[in-house]
Amino acid sequence: MILLVAILAGLAVGLFIARLKKRPWTVPPLHKPWLVIIAFLPQFFTLYLPGTRTWVKDDLAAAGLIVSLALLLVFCWFNRRLSGVWLLALGLACNLLVIAANGGFMPISPQTASRIVLPEILATYGNGDRFGTKDILLPPEQTRLIWLSDLFLPPKGFPYQVAFSPGDVFVAAGAFWLMLTQGKTLKATKIRMVKDRE
Amino acid sequence: MKNQISKLFVFTTKINRQHIQVAFAFLALVLFVLGAGAPDDGGGVLPR
Repeated sequence: MILLVAILAGLAVGLFIARLKKRPWTVPPLHKPWLVIIAFLPQFFTLYLPGTRTWVKDDLAAAGLIVSLALLLVFCWFNRRLSGVWLLALGLACNLLVIAANGGFMPISPQTASRIVLPEILATYGNGDRFGTKDILLPPEQTRLIWLSDLFLPPKGFPYQVAFSPGDVFVAAGAFWLMLTQGKTLKATKIRMVKDRE
Repeated sequence: MKNQISKLFVFTTKINRQHIQVAFAFLALVLFVLGAGAPDDGGGVLPR
């Protein structure tokens, strides 16, 4: 949800700037977009689709998530020349690192989790239990690379409470930048500006 | 009714290869952020 907002915000600002400059906005020219669909399939079946996620064992779901993230990193390599993709790749790499270091799921501390679910629900979970879609409930002393885990929260009283990682911040920033610049590099934009002047 | 059908026909003929490519690129980007990100808003967290 929070990441989709980044795409929409990038699109809105990109459209606004394009209109100001009287230029058409074009979708970023992604290379091998089918690779994303293939990469997402393991997550779709093991984490999202209710019919299959219930009978998939945690080990298989963890392996599926890591394979999926690795394939997305390959997609980033094919699109490395598009602006914003390096931010997407950085965020993805951060999440992949912390997920791989903690048994295949994103760690979240009980303290952070207490802000996003009711205490009576949280009380039914123990250390090491899967929590939400991609998370695992782990106390800070048992978490590897804790500074890359889901440790950020919006201010108390904010209507939408969500735990997110530094990797998520980079992914959101990358998606925003990619949509804003339409994937064009700074160099390409400068060349275009010079041509426009001529 | 006939008019509406003809309008629909005109609309569908306007959907060309480029439109499909744009939709596909958007889908890829949405799936990328859903796949790469791991935020948790507590949705779907049920009592065990």
